[in-house]
Amino acid sequence: MRRRTWQRRGASLLLPGLLAGCSGVQSILAPAGTDAAFLSNLFWVMLAGAVVLWFFMNGLMVYVWRVNVGHMSSRKAEALIIGGGIVFPTVVIGVLLSVALNAMPDMRAEGTGTRLKVTGEQWWWRVEYWPEGAEAPIVSANEIVLPANSRSEIGLTADKVIHSFWVPALGGKTDMFPGRETRMSLEPLKPGTYRGQCTEFCGESHAWMAFNTVVLPQDEYDAWLDAQAEPAAAPASESAERGQAVFLSEGCGACHAVRGTAAAGKVGPDLTHLGARTSLAAGTLPMTQDALVRWVRDAKAVKPGAEMPAYDHLTEDELSDLAAYLEGLT
Amino acid sequence: MSTTWGGGRIEDETFVSAEGEHGPYGIYPPTEDMLNEPVDPEVSKAQEDRLRRAWAAPKGWKVISAVNNEFVGKWYCLTAFSFMLCAGILALLMRVQLAVPENEFLSADRFNQFFTMHGSAMMFLFAVPMFEALSILLLPEILRARDMPFPRLSAYGYWCFLIGGIFVMSSVLFDAAPSSGWFMYPPLSTIEEGVGPDIWLLGLSFIEVASIAAAVELIVGVVKCRPPGMRVNLMPLYAWYVLVVGVMILFAFPPLIAGDFLFEMQRSFDWPFFDPERGGDPLLWQHLFWIFGHPEVYIVFLPSIALAAMIIPTAAQRPIVGYNWIVLSAVGVGFLSFGLWVHHMFTTGLPMLSLGFFSAASEAVVIPTGVQLFAFVATLMVGRVKMILPMLWIAGAMAVFTAGGLTGVMIALAPFDWQVHDTYFIVAHLHYTLFGGMIFPIIGGVYYYYPFFTKKMMSERLGRWSFWLIFTGFNLTFLPMHWTGLAGMPRRVYSYPGGIGWDLPNMISTVGAFVTAAGVAVFAWDLLRPKSHQPRAPRNPWKAGTLEWADDPNDEQWGVRSVPFITTRYPLWQQPKILERIDAGRYYLPDAQEGLRETIITSAVDARPQSVTAVTGPAWCTIFAAIFTGGAFIFPTFSWYLPAIISGAFAIACVIYWLWTSTAQVPAAPSKDVSLGLRLPVYVSGNKAPGWWGVFISMLGDATAFASLIFGVFFYWTSSPDFPPEGSAHADPIWIAGAAVLYALAWLFVRTARGVNRAGAVTTGRALLVAAPLAALGAGAALCWSLIALDPTSHAYPAMMWAVAVWTCVHTAAGVIMMCYCLAGTIFGKLTPRYDADLWNTTLFWHFHGTSAIIACAVIGWLPRVLA
Amino acid sequence: MSVFGIERSRSLWHLILAPTIWAIHFCVTYGMTAIWCERAPAASGDLRLWILIVTAVALAMILGVAWRAWRQWDYTDDYDYEHDGPTIEDRREFLGHAGFLLAVVSVIGVIYVALPAAFVGSCG
Repeated sequence: MRRRTWQRRGASLLLPGLLAGCSGVQSILAPAGTDAAFLSNLFWVMLAGAVVLWFFMNGLMVYVWRVNVGHMSSRKAEALIIGGGIVFPTVVIGVLLSVALNAMPDMRAEGTGTRLKVTGEQWWWRVEYWPEGAEAPIVSANEIVLPANSRSEIGLTADKVIHSFWVPALGGKTDMFPGRETRMSLEPLKPGTYRGQCTEFCGESHAWMAFNTVVLPQDEYDAWLDAQAEPAAAPASESAERGQAVFLSEGCGACHAVRGTAAAGKVGPDLTHLGARTSLAAGTLPMTQDALVRWVRDAKAVKPGAEMPAYDHLTEDELSDLAAYLEGLT
Repeated sequence: MSTTWGGGRIEDETFVSAEGEHGPYGIYPPTEDMLNEPVDPEVSKAQEDRLRRAWAAPKGWKVISAVNNEFVGKWYCLTAFSFMLCAGILALLMRVQLAVPENEFLSADRFNQFFTMHGSAMMFLFAVPMFEALSILLLPEILRARDMPFPRLSAYGYWCFLIGGIFVMSSVLFDAAPSSGWFMYPPLSTIEEGVGPDIWLLGLSFIEVASIAAAVELIVGVVKCRPPGMRVNLMPLYAWYVLVVGVMILFAFPPLIAGDFLFEMQRSFDWPFFDPERGGDPLLWQHLFWIFGHPEVYIVFLPSIALAAMIIPTAAQRPIVGYNWIVLSAVGVGFLSFGLWVHHMFTTGLPMLSLGFFSAASEAVVIPTGVQLFAFVATLMVGRVKMILPMLWIAGAMAVFTAGGLTGVMIALAPFDWQVHDTYFIVAHLHYTLFGGMIFPIIGGVYYYYPFFTKKMMSERLGRWSFWLIFTGFNLTFLPMHWTGLAGMPRRVYSYPGGIGWDLPNMISTVGAFVTAAGVAVFAWDLLRPKSHQPRAPRNPWKAGTLEWADDPNDEQWGVRSVPFITTRYPLWQQPKILERIDAGRYYLPDAQEGLRETIITSAVDARPQSVTAVTGPAWCTIFAAIFTGGAFIFPTFSWYLPAIISGAFAIACVIYWLWTSTAQVPAAPSKDVSLGLRLPVYVSGNKAPGWWGVFISMLGDATAFASLIFGVFFYWTSSPDFPPEGSAHADPIWIAGAAVLYALAWLFVRTARGVNRAGAVTTGRALLVAAPLAALGAGAALCWSLIALDPTSHAYPAMMWAVAVWTCVHTAAGVIMMCYCLAGTIFGKLTPRYDADLWNTTLFWHFHGTSAIIACAVIGWLPRVLA
Repeated sequence: MSVFGIERSRSLWHLILAPTIWAIHFCVTYGMTAIWCERAPAASGDLRLWILIVTAVALAMILGVAWRAWRQWDYTDDYDYEHDGPTIEDRREFLGHAGFLLAVVSVIGVIYVALPAAFVGSCG
């Protein structure tokens, strides 16, 4: 499998850090949002404390073993138990707990900007944007776009099984349940592309249920949202036109919607602006013609257990026309 | 210092023995003069012959019918260890798959089966059973009791474990293993096709029942089978831990059993407990699972740390410092660990305040745990440490566990957990706590106790090799996983894309896993290699101070030559002549005049002798009972309900046979001389009898399961706006009221039967024992009939009502069998006005069942009308 | 049977009294919050007041237990904290000492558990 090109493209968006994980697009320690930044700082402080304590405790062990002191008075030993076991942890943990509890309400605060609803499906994401006053949502899938510097409200639910929604660079995760609505909010700070992933085990292809989060400055975001609301672009080339015919005649529209055409299926991801997304198949493949061909020909080979049937009866030409059409849906 | 027990006072304590020869009689505690008096070697030899005969183990292949703690304990340990190796191999295969990104070594489905089975097997087939195995092996030796109070129960538990374990584990070989994770979250697991989840549910429920049986036995062992004089303040720390852990199992496992019951009802009969479309709620399973799952972590941790509490004083060659502190921390952890379960559910969107409570409690548990560790360090600082091999493992355990504990402090903070929850950071954390809190101490314990069981030493050189391999390999595997997790890699993924910072740490982890495996292999070889050419180990090779090292050096089966009188915490250090006196048969119960296997029962707090009880010997009925119980659990996996019911009936028959032929037998004489001028009764009933304690403790666990079901009813009510749903049918009020009245009558009858039987009115007693089961059967029938209009598949509400009713009726059936057993007992002379232990136990069962049945009637008949 | 608390100082139940109060406090605050937040999330201000009251009651009870345990421990009598003798006094003072320590841990536990109510104002 070759997904490397896209991965490299994704990684190059970020500053290469000294430490391997820092270069990750999915790292808790490369924060790009308010909550993630707080938690990352909290982690470094806790880590420093933990390292000191670990060396203290094990230093004592090495001391009694190597230096072989012996015959400390049992009163002093008792004082060690009281100090080390009760007084010290009570104070330190009391402080930590207060800091963390104090930070919680802000992270759960209601979003004031964009409102989204994300539904976890096996194994992809249904995304709905609800601009203020809208009666119907702008439907998308497998990619989240958020404005920088405002707190977006995200409603979460699931189709059949439990999933969990997580963009490490922006903040913590929240589970998505069938038949239940949960919510969270995120406040991105830096424009960029950040990878998110499902973190609740959800069946066979749990490993390939990811997505990119694209954070845009507010004005670009507004423009992007307006474009999303538009119906799909018409095929721009002959190949794409043939591809559209294949799309319709093969019955793709029974599951997928392409607004502005006869395809209005609701079972699978909405493809109206597929070509504008940065990845294919829920963060699994790059958005290239080759990848589109591969995916359509045999989706299960890429994502075991996926519901999309294989279209391996199509000819190479038909497949590349179809890919041209889909990639043109920007 | 001594006084006679004929109604006198002992050391300011009032003790009135008005029972004549039915109570303890004679001198207690023994004087120094009595203990100094030599035993005639002739007499001693005759006693030894009789003891040897009574405790002889079956020969050849028939040895599998043995029930001695030494046999059963060893099999138990080895079985649990082999399951650990199986689960370890699964881990290695998973590490191969994850070594490089986008690997295709394992398919997604197989990987999912492997991680599910790795977790399930490590928890249910290794960690918990290993505690039970070691405790069955060690506890009687540490307490110098002859055996566990109910040896056949431990044998039964072992066979259940073996059958269930092989059944569950072998599913991997047939590609039929469960694949929705060891936590089995619905709806993923309820919609999973195939028998995987059923194997998990039924196979493991079966093993959970065996675990509870072991817990009951261990608690009774600690409370009632201590040697005379071993007051609670002198108890070896191991016994304290066993007591705490036993009680924890009693309260932690039943919620899972209740959950399993609901779950299997959904899988088999489509009762929608976890189906959100029909009023169910998948979160209920998460609550029930983690109410079990978190205490379970401490159930695994405490007994292993208990081994450390035995090894550390030996290494320091002085008594433990802060004995009281350690008792405090064991009890404190036991309690606090029940307030942590939601920290596995921090991301489920519960109210922030609720998360806060659980976050706080999760942090609070650090305090008793810290106390424990500092008490160990303090002991080492006060003593003069000899780095014996077991101590090396304990030191390694401390290093690893402290790291796991410190990351635990981090993830107990709810907001931080929102980030790292379900990532490799958690995988690292939990393996640090479990390796440090379980694997290292257990291996240390094996090195420590090996010479005690086999009279041979394990190799010092291989031991150090194995330690350094495992220690290095472990850290190589799991230290990078913290990083992998922080870089965003979720758990339970069978593969991952390359180039986002996960490649290198994963490769290092895989290499580390194989280094660890090499260490485990060295250990396994050292454990199992033939040692016949090696010299015999000395009797107390580590110069320890606790009683297990008073073990007889001549491979005798009798456990202990005579049951010592204890006045210190470290008798081998602090009671100079104790070894000679034990060996000479100077102490209690040096003889088996009647050819019975016997052990002394003492009072719970001060360990004053109360009675002598005969414990059961080798038997086949326990093995058959286990096989048939296995059938009753395993057949439903394949929806073969009739064979399951038949198998269940045979299991019950085996258990009745076993109880009837070997427990609460009417004795030839009411009391016997146990030496040192003391006579003890050989038959007690009521709360002085270990059997009564067994029932009491089992019923506490059972009541917890029932409470979990009732919690379920309230849970639905709080979590859903319409529970019970508007306009739904309710239970018929007349029938349900009738059921409640009949339950009350059955309960009253059986209690009255006990009283009148004691008073000698045997006929009236029998009449009541006829009326009671009839009333109970009527009650059960009325309860079910009241629900006839409710369709359990339509909605979670009727399903829940039916679940409570079914649960209650199953218990009624057990209660009826017990009543009939007593009735048969009075007719065939097994139960008399004087020897009525069975009736006491049946009454005790009905105290619990009567109460829960009436609560069930209220919950079914009255509560929904109030809530609606 | 001594275990059933006929003679208080001998009872093992007495030992676990303080953590039991912690457990009840925990269940009550958790249950109260679960029901309150589901049924009347707006009125969480009252909820915090109730948590405060329940906490105060629990603390008072644990302090009571601690005082009794302290008396039973009788530390200032001989400044003994080992209690490893074979006498009634050792056993009684041992249970007092362990009970007192458990009360201390329970106090910390109760305060910790109530802490969220100080920082988190709403059900959220």
